[in-house]
Amino acid sequence: MSAPVAYGTTFRRLVGFLRPYRGSLIASTVLAILSQSAAIAILVVTGRVIDELRSGAANTDLSLGIAIIVAIGLVKALLMVGRRFISGRQALGVEYDLRDALYARLVRLSFGFYDRHQTGQLMSRATVDLQAVRFFLGYGLIFFAQHIVTIVSVTAVLFVYEWRLALIALGITPLLIGVAYRYSHISHPVLRDVQQKLADVATVAEESIVGVHVVKSFAQEDRRQERFERSSYDVFDQSVIANRQRAIYVPLLSFLPMIAQAAVLIAAGHMVVNGSLTLGAFVAFNLLLAMLVAPLRMLGMWIGQAQRATASGERIFEVIDEPEGIADLPDAKPLPPGPGAIRFESVDFAYEPGRPVLQGIELEIVAGTTVALIGHTGSGKTTLASLVPRFYDVSGGRVLVDGADVREVGRRSLRREIGVISQDPFLFSASVRDNIAFGTPGATHELVEAAARAAQAHGFVEELPKGYDTVIGERGITLSGGQRQRLAIARALVIDPRILILDDATASVDASTEALIRTGLAEAMRDRTTIIIAHRLSTIALADEVVVLEHGRIAARGTQAELLQTSAVFREIHEHGLLQGLEASA
Amino acid sequence: MKVWQAGSHLMDEKGVKVADWSWRRTRRRLGMLARMALPYKGRTTLALVTLLGFTLVGLAPPYLAKIAVDEGIRTGDTHRLAVVVAIFVAAAVATLVLSGLQTYATGWTGERILADLRNRLFAHLQRLSLGFYERNRTGVIISRITNDVEALDQLVTDGVTSLVQNTLLLVGTAVVLFYLDWRLALATLVVVPLMGLATAWFRVRSNRAYRRVRERLGLVTATLAEDIAGMRVVQSFTREPRNQESFRGVNDRYREANYETVVLNGLYFPAVDFLSSVATAIVLGYGGSRLLDGDLTFGTLLAFMLYLSNFFDPVQQLSQLYNTFLSAIAALDKIIDVLDEEPEVNDRADAIELPRIDGRVRFDGVRFGYGNLPEVLHGIDLDVPAGTTVALVGHTGAGKSTIAKLIARFYDPREGVLSIDGHDLRTVSQHSLRRQLGIVPQEGFLFAGTVAENIAFALPEATREQVVAAATAVGAHAFVTELGQGYDTELGERGFRLSLGQRQLVAFARALLADPRILILDEATSSVDIGTERQIERALRRLLHGRTAFVIAHRLSTIRDADLIVVLEHGVVVEQGTHAELLARRGVYMSLYGDWAADVA
Repeated sequence: MSAPVAYGTTFRRLVGFLRPYRGSLIASTVLAILSQSAAIAILVVTGRVIDELRSGAANTDLSLGIAIIVAIGLVKALLMVGRRFISGRQALGVEYDLRDALYARLVRLSFGFYDRHQTGQLMSRATVDLQAVRFFLGYGLIFFAQHIVTIVSVTAVLFVYEWRLALIALGITPLLIGVAYRYSHISHPVLRDVQQKLADVATVAEESIVGVHVVKSFAQEDRRQERFERSSYDVFDQSVIANRQRAIYVPLLSFLPMIAQAAVLIAAGHMVVNGSLTLGAFVAFNLLLAMLVAPLRMLGMWIGQAQRATASGERIFEVIDEPEGIADLPDAKPLPPGPGAIRFESVDFAYEPGRPVLQGIELEIVAGTTVALIGHTGSGKTTLASLVPRFYDVSGGRVLVDGADVREVGRRSLRREIGVISQDPFLFSASVRDNIAFGTPGATHELVEAAARAAQAHGFVEELPKGYDTVIGERGITLSGGQRQRLAIARALVIDPRILILDDATASVDASTEALIRTGLAEAMRDRTTIIIAHRLSTIALADEVVVLEHGRIAARGTQAELLQTSAVFREIHEHGLLQGLEASA
Repeated sequence: MKVWQAGSHLMDEKGVKVADWSWRRTRRRLGMLARMALPYKGRTTLALVTLLGFTLVGLAPPYLAKIAVDEGIRTGDTHRLAVVVAIFVAAAVATLVLSGLQTYATGWTGERILADLRNRLFAHLQRLSLGFYERNRTGVIISRITNDVEALDQLVTDGVTSLVQNTLLLVGTAVVLFYLDWRLALATLVVVPLMGLATAWFRVRSNRAYRRVRERLGLVTATLAEDIAGMRVVQSFTREPRNQESFRGVNDRYREANYETVVLNGLYFPAVDFLSSVATAIVLGYGGSRLLDGDLTFGTLLAFMLYLSNFFDPVQQLSQLYNTFLSAIAALDKIIDVLDEEPEVNDRADAIELPRIDGRVRFDGVRFGYGNLPEVLHGIDLDVPAGTTVALVGHTGAGKSTIAKLIARFYDPREGVLSIDGHDLRTVSQHSLRRQLGIVPQEGFLFAGTVAENIAFALPEATREQVVAAATAVGAHAFVTELGQGYDTELGERGFRLSLGQRQLVAFARALLADPRILILDEATSSVDIGTERQIERALRRLLHGRTAFVIAHRLSTIRDADLIVVLEHGVVVEQGTHAELLARRGVYMSLYGDWAADVA
């Protein structure tokens, strides 16, 4: 992901998320100002009452002043309720929007992005970082604004009361701001680093736990422990640095206002003694000043939070700013109707510049036929197949489906016509039914069951505790590799695609299961154009034509009989298969 | 093979519920935290002392203001005023130093305890037997070591400090108020019962509301995790709009639940604020009339007003802390539960180090079942001479992998004896046994790190030559050198960039370099292309040569070449012998063989 961007820019962008809530921002600010005024009014009345007490008339009636204080207190409380309801709703709205924006980007990012980024790292952005940002934007900023209102209004009132005292009291403000700024400046990179180190710990933990059988098998517990402890103590070291900064700056930020209080105490004391200030004004002034202490003290905390939020915001924006990779053209049309003909025209492809994976592929697959791609590991079979649903864009040449360049049609209309069954099918922790109907959420039960039957999955599904409603992954419901594959085949069949792509779809199953799957496949391939990435002779036998890939080029193509004459690679496979066949009949 | 779905674990992490408030459990929790803090006694003490110190010093300023007013300003004694202010400044400096030290000491100790806890948890997890990992979902286990430790973070750093500080402030303020003037204190604190009621109501309601928030946040996280992990499928099946929509639903439900907490907070906090206004009014009214009567000073009145804000702040802080506190305790309980988990397989106190073995493996009437589940092996008798390659064959569920796991002593038999070179496995240490074993699982699991590091997994001190030799021997050298940085190429999450076949070859190289006396191999079925398949066959022969090997076999060639074929059915050995012998017998093996034959026909 890109290099860290300027702190200010990120901050402004974060604040930009508040724009849709301008109305409620204004409303809550107004309410905050009003309730602040009420708080000040209470103190002013208090000062008046004290001066009355000071005048010492025996018949002094305190009840009016007290009634006013209680009344203002009530109004203030009601204003606060309103402010909290409005700003709370807005805070939750901002959080919702942020999460929605992130998700919207995640679903659009192409396969290339997911090849480069680990799930754990992305998760940490979507949870931990988002949490920091939403807390700041949702609550931090509002409190911050409220504190600013307090500071400004109380300062103004202080000046009205006694400008010389106010000057003394606020003399420390520049220093306070300087310290706060400095703290924000140095803590930012450290806090960002803490987040990163925490994500590293999670990564090490995850892989050690997922691979625990390997660790145990090779008796390598000690080394894993060492590795884990290293990353765990890295977090500690970095946190200690952050903590040391906090230990210096945060107390300093609350110390400075106390010095101001002391200065006011002595100056105002003198003024009362020589009669230039009433005792009531003295009390009110001190109480007002006390109102300032908490907001000023919190300044440091909000700055820290703004820091954390900005650091996190950067990490989130890195995802949101990630170019989509594969996007529809503005004038993209839906895939035209057709039987499912595929054509590769001098296609080149590379994952990284300078390391071509496919070179000059010319291939035409007639609609309704089945082509088996074979070749050694790394010859580009899987890559070639993933160009058809446009999981990646070609580096040169073009891929046509029913005469349309896949880059010129809407991705969704294209992919809806292609059923993909990958090497290691991913199932969601949802019911079997929902997994099969994944691509056609409204599918009827008949449709789901028909697909499951065709994929030879109906039998084992029926035997699950709740049949099609069994939730995969729940309460230890696990499926074998073969079962997962059959569900993946059913999933691809339900969408009734023109084109079917099967990658290694018969891996990791025993022979009898494989025979079942093959029956399912033969059913599935009827009337569709199919690309099979095949390893077994028995699977190749399903194909009308075989294409042999070698080092990213088509080395040979033809029927099995033709290839036996022309292709060494094919002969090798064929003999291997034949060998097994001979053993079988021995 | 297990289906691990990222994030699905969060579904059943339904909110936070602290079920057990018994004294025993509480003592356990406290004891555990105390023990973790024990090595850092000095810093913990420093943290506590400084915390006490600066909280107490923090009580001084209003009192000093009172003295300044009563003894300095009202009497016109400016010298006295200067002394009081000097004390005030001294208090401020003391607060600065003490709270700096406190922040540092608490932060250091807290972070250190968390790091230690993480490490201890990790060490414990590594000690636990495979049974634990089979019973619990990976995601849940990972979340113990990440999310739950994080949840404790707030408690050990800010939470404890805030709890102690605010409680002290509350009690301290009350004490000072009564000391200053008990009648005024009593009058002022009539609002306390009201506040108590409001707080109790708030606590109950917000506890419920926050639990719902956490539940729904868990759902948000689970949905995200799963969708990120399965994004390729989502895009292949063009589910983007639909998924976005359902994510919006989850996101919205979370927002709804959260709004309830907004309403609760929005009512509670202004109510507390109103009560503090009432308290101010009482101070002024009752205090003022007492002042007029002459039995209260101005200074005391001022001090009361200043102290009042000291009194209401901690109440608000403490009620906010309550939720943090509950989540932290729930997390702590989950961690304790893991730490209480005992490994099912333990080294005996008198366990011996297994000497270098030849590799003769004997099963004598071995019976076994997982946990409390029904028995799956019903009396296995096997005698495998050193250097024999044994192919275990049978249908899924016949007990092949269970036998393999018993040899590695991932489990102990329920009955009977399993011995290697005459040593009952229960009498030797697990470590010394596994050092001499090589286990190759079906899917070659790779760790983040370079190819070389992965091959040298069992032998970190191996030289580059040894690594290359092992890779060459299994035929992995060619593709490794074609990778970006050869042996120094970093492998992504779970070896993402290698194909299944390549991963298997790397796993073979890893086993070969470990040079085990006994090899246990769960053979992958034909998930690789034919060229790789050939290489794997060659690599296998190389790997099996000169050692005892148990192969959970799927390849015809492997089975045919094995010295001994053991046919299992329903946890019983039904046939054993060589390929030719078993074919001649025309029994179970023959019919199994028929399936394979059909497969390649």
